[in-house]
Amino acid sequence: MTHSAPTSEAGGRDVWIPSACGMCYNQCGIRGHRKDGTLVKIEGNPDNPIGRGRLCARGLAGIQLLYDPHRVNRPLRRTNPEKGIGVDPGWQEIGWDEALDEISERLRKVRERDPRGFFFSGTVISLAPLMHALGTFLPAFGSPSAFVSDGHHCGNAEHILARTLHASVTTNPDVAHCDYLLLFGCQAGLGTYYALTSMAQDVADARVRGMKVVAVDPYLGSAAEKADEWLPIKPGSDGALACAMLNLLLNEYRLFDEAYLRDHADGPYLLTEEGWYARDAESGKPLVWDLAAGRPRPFDAPDLGTPALTGSHPVDGRPCRTVFQALCDQVAKWTPEAAAEVTTIPAQTIRRIAREFGEAAAIGSTIQIDGKSLPLRPASALYFKGAHGHDNAWPTALAIELLNEVVGASNVPGGLLGTNPVCSGHPDTGFPRWRPGPDADGLLEAGALLYNDPYGRTPGWPPPPQSAELPNLRDLVGWPITTCFTPAALNDRENFQFDHRPEVLINYGSNLLMSVARPEVCFEAFEHAFVVCVNLYSDETAEALADIVLPDACYLERLDPLPNFTRHHHPVGLGDWGHTIRQPLVEPLHERRHFSEVLLELADRLGITQPMNLLTNNLFGLVPPHALEPDRSYSWREIADRAYKSWFGEERGLAWFEQHGVIRWPKQVEEVFWKPFIHARAPLYNEWVKRSGEQVAEIARQRGMKGVDTSGFFPLPDWRPCRAWQPREGYDLQAIYYRVPWHTFSMTYENPWLDEISRGEPYSYFVCINTATARARGISDGDPIVVEAADGGSVEGRARLTEGVHPEVLAVANNGGHWAKGMPFARGKGIFFNQLLPMDLPHTDLVSLSMDCDARVRVRKREEA
Amino acid sequence: MRLGMVIDLKRCIGCYGCQIACKAENGTRPGTTYARVVKREWGEYPNVKRLSIPVLCMHCGEPPCVDVCPTGASQKRECDGIVFVETDVCVGCRACVMACPYGARYFQDESRDYFGTGENAYEECVYAAHQSGVVEKCDFCRARLEQGLEPACSANCMCKARIFGDLEDPNSEVSRLIREEGGFQLNPELGTDPSVWYLPPER
Amino acid sequence: MSSIDRLDLRRHDLGQVYRPQRDWIDGRGLLIVVAHFFSGIGAGAWLWSTLYDFRIGQWLSVACVLGLSGVAHLAFLGRWDRFWRMLRRPHRSWISRGIWAIGVFGLAACGVLWPAARSGPVGGFALGLSVAAACAILLYEGFVYAASRAIPFWRTRLLPALYIAYGLRGGAALLLVTAALGGDGFDVASVEAVKLWVVASTAVLVLLYLVAGSRAGGAARESVSQLVAGRISPSFYGGTVLAGIVLPIGLTLGGDALALPELVLLGAIGIASLLGDFYVKYCIVKAGVYVPLVGSAGVQRSGS
Repeated sequence: MTHSAPTSEAGGRDVWIPSACGMCYNQCGIRGHRKDGTLVKIEGNPDNPIGRGRLCARGLAGIQLLYDPHRVNRPLRRTNPEKGIGVDPGWQEIGWDEALDEISERLRKVRERDPRGFFFSGTVISLAPLMHALGTFLPAFGSPSAFVSDGHHCGNAEHILARTLHASVTTNPDVAHCDYLLLFGCQAGLGTYYALTSMAQDVADARVRGMKVVAVDPYLGSAAEKADEWLPIKPGSDGALACAMLNLLLNEYRLFDEAYLRDHADGPYLLTEEGWYARDAESGKPLVWDLAAGRPRPFDAPDLGTPALTGSHPVDGRPCRTVFQALCDQVAKWTPEAAAEVTTIPAQTIRRIAREFGEAAAIGSTIQIDGKSLPLRPASALYFKGAHGHDNAWPTALAIELLNEVVGASNVPGGLLGTNPVCSGHPDTGFPRWRPGPDADGLLEAGALLYNDPYGRTPGWPPPPQSAELPNLRDLVGWPITTCFTPAALNDRENFQFDHRPEVLINYGSNLLMSVARPEVCFEAFEHAFVVCVNLYSDETAEALADIVLPDACYLERLDPLPNFTRHHHPVGLGDWGHTIRQPLVEPLHERRHFSEVLLELADRLGITQPMNLLTNNLFGLVPPHALEPDRSYSWREIADRAYKSWFGEERGLAWFEQHGVIRWPKQVEEVFWKPFIHARAPLYNEWVKRSGEQVAEIARQRGMKGVDTSGFFPLPDWRPCRAWQPREGYDLQAIYYRVPWHTFSMTYENPWLDEISRGEPYSYFVCINTATARARGISDGDPIVVEAADGGSVEGRARLTEGVHPEVLAVANNGGHWAKGMPFARGKGIFFNQLLPMDLPHTDLVSLSMDCDARVRVRKREEA
Repeated sequence: MRLGMVIDLKRCIGCYGCQIACKAENGTRPGTTYARVVKREWGEYPNVKRLSIPVLCMHCGEPPCVDVCPTGASQKRECDGIVFVETDVCVGCRACVMACPYGARYFQDESRDYFGTGENAYEECVYAAHQSGVVEKCDFCRARLEQGLEPACSANCMCKARIFGDLEDPNSEVSRLIREEGGFQLNPELGTDPSVWYLPPER
Repeated sequence: MSSIDRLDLRRHDLGQVYRPQRDWIDGRGLLIVVAHFFSGIGAGAWLWSTLYDFRIGQWLSVACVLGLSGVAHLAFLGRWDRFWRMLRRPHRSWISRGIWAIGVFGLAACGVLWPAARSGPVGGFALGLSVAAACAILLYEGFVYAASRAIPFWRTRLLPALYIAYGLRGGAALLLVTAALGGDGFDVASVEAVKLWVVASTAVLVLLYLVAGSRAGGAARESVSQLVAGRISPSFYGGTVLAGIVLPIGLTLGGDALALPELVLLGAIGIASLLGDFYVKYCIVKAGVYVPLVGSAGVQRSGS
């Protein structure tokens, strides 16, 4: 059966249309070639600084997503009343009106009874529609019950520190000026991570120029392949390596940036013995020890002398160490030998890497850029999922981040940059703009992290823990960007004592059952709810849970204004800003509809258009005369037009962007390397974490909650083993998963061009096992094997023997192993790793709501039945 | 003029973007990958090296495929050295497939589609330009060259690991790179004289 | 093997260090082995038949070369309707030369077999031409493989020698079978003696060929390894060695002890020999392994 050529409003034409990719969360610029109504090619858009005219394998393969015959094309209703993993839903095609009638009726009832019963989850791949829902529909409806659920990609802990230390959502190194890049479980510019297409070019340039790359990773993946040195490590022990390096830099080699720590971080702030900032009795400001004056004074006292960076000093007769001193003392126990024990990296290697990193940072050096003299610290330690996708996420992330801080390689040329924390806006309009600044304690506070911030607000620190009534735990631990723990919390309802349950779940595109943890977790959380999946395919989640499936317009079929509204799409470092449009390369095929338009319709049916309009103004940063009036209805195109005009002026509305595609203007030095120009201190010490920990513990105690372990709410770095690292009798290996550059979560296994890559590549459809480890167990290359987790769950696959993996580790490329009938091409491709992963409090870092994404396992050959 | 390509193995990260860029440009059928990537591993843990090596038709100076072709379908252009298949003339004997040491040639046995459910709208459009029962291969994107563009694989490479140009021009980027960065060919002892050169991954 | 599986095999192969050739053995690729088998024994049979003036043998030969081999050749091609284009490059391509040889042989053989032209100068010319063309057929096939620069196992003059030798013995075997089935006018005894010698010499050639291959290193050694100890060894030992060498020699030397009718014995020898002839070509073609693109020595070292 073929689906013949789509209708198009411009048959017979041959056009190239600018737009934005949606095959991963990087949203690079694209151009589509449409001939006689059929999309025949996707390329990068050379006008767009995001991607610079080049695309990864996925972006190029988007055509096969558009024309996949297995796409959902009409709304579907479940006729089989039984829900379950692997159960046939008995889909029946229905009309949109019928579907929306039912959905809006159910939502209306929930809103009357208790709006919190409306749960929403979505995929960050389709970030623009997701934010539209989170930022307007959910609050207009009155539900706080949102959770972002792609589980296994996100860097929750890293996002926290990117905010506190780098004033942004995430980070990327300034490789243009970097000489030494130390990667912990991260493949920036070498396979994955943010701004990949642009970073790939920048990292390649830097490496050819001579930048050394060291990759700390249990598996010889894309990054380790290109690295000058691969340091195989036991999964979950990266924090110990970082702590040992901190110890060496601070206490032995004395390689640290004194001036930076004293003047641009909270290094000199005094800490009471209880671990709080010592504060001035009158002003409440944190105190420092004025060396000349010989007494404690507020950090911002007008005539302050040089403050002490080290030592312990008396405040009201009580000894108070400086933050810097406390840090030095804290890491002193992490000798290289202690770290070697835990990581299996030899102590002398740890010593050497620490010295190399410290020396490469060239503390004290400067560089002239655009007539401005800036500190130059050409060393950068970057980390992501591989390092902190464990239940020791918070201390791991902190330890690695501080490597940059102690040598001053933070937010300066050559060092680790937040992704674009400062924007002064287009020269014509001054929008979009956002800017960090100091808070009352003089500590760094990010500007708006999304869209535009026309009123100059800064969002401030999140509210302290208040209660534990929301399943997404945002009232308990408000920081985490992704809140995939929600299903686990719902399953633990007796403990959490939620007084409401999911009545309706709308799931925008996220394949929860595959992408979060063991599928049973998400299934049980929502099996009694009325579930609507807005999706490209009838995937595992839809088939197990959904009552209705709505056919989503993929990124090639829809309009999203300002798709690069977040900071991390744009490459870091010098270059150009660029904003573009995502517009349909073909009109939605069959009866697919754009989710944003569905939301507008649902809002209309529910009578919440008014608050939604106000929230839309807020979200996009719409300013008069383009702001939406509360009591009018607007089409999606009108909203898009106003968004563009708000940001870029009257002449540059939707029509301008449909034609021109991209607006770009040069970044200024003060935007890119803002730290010397905005005086706000990086908080090395995390007083807020300590406070949160106490408040969380108190809330748990009051409510009688069990299993709430707040010992991890520690303000300084340390290492403790994650669950999978801990030895268990009979289970001698750790299983991890890794990313390959041609797959995005579970979706792309359905794409035949991308599947074809894996079929020609040696590793990604196999379980990688160290050759010696395999031989010792009588396992040969290609043998079918069974991997069983100590915490339950097992997966099967074929063994690929390789030298490129730690002997105690099994490595799998995630996220394959589909079983859904609605994705027949993807079925059986790859290995479903997440069956090995439980999701519950014991496996979770509560500070950041990160899961332990690896498992303690054993392996055996599968006997033929 | 002798058109050629330099592939910098230090820059390449093995992302397979070139394989898909080529497929997207040429609309090739399943199993036909004019541009592809070979992965190799050497050494013993923990001193292990992996390498991704992009491979395509080498457009040899002495192409063995042209020698063995009984019909003259396999030809080398005088003006720029591109080796291509005149598919209207090819009988599909696959002698060239036996002769090519670089696996650059693909016999189009039957027409098939990717999803196994019949050609989708995109495939209907692009497969029409291909024949069955003949051999196909990379032609350095002749159609793009005519428009002043470079081949799709090198135009798209995220890492700028592929550089295209005139090997006979000593001032071209390709000539300079080969000269200054230690460029080498694959299997030169076979006497094929490839027009595709590689730069060492470690330098 | 379904077409999808074959594509998967190709994807897998392209990543291997030692990549076996498949286009000339899998699927319709097998037809070229079949075609070469029939044209080889057909040409050999023509030579023996002409030598011993065995008319039936000559007819059989033409049926093999033009009929069976011809059809197999066409079915092997992707675009058989264009087959005449293969005549275009005899100055460079062995395949082209081979098509000419088959064509010339066909015409010349018709001239020999056509009663009216048989006697006289035309018949004599046709006979000479047919013998030359038959020799050319025996010769060209081995060179087609030997011309494949990418497959070291085939790059030796021993291969054309093997094809010639096997063509001769195959032709003789064909005639033995024909005689066993009741063909008259065939001097079996003399053929038998020569045949023993030919069988023995092919055995020696095979051995030499394998030794040369294993000494050539790399891909050629991998080919030999697949033949004698790998995926092709059942065919090699069962077909080439047992059926093709051991049985014919054994039956020739010790066949009397079996107390079989002579013609049955000869037929058995012939069939075994023919099987061996087919399997040697099958095994050698199947064992073709491409020179490694990037092997264990690293990316800057050559494969071989």
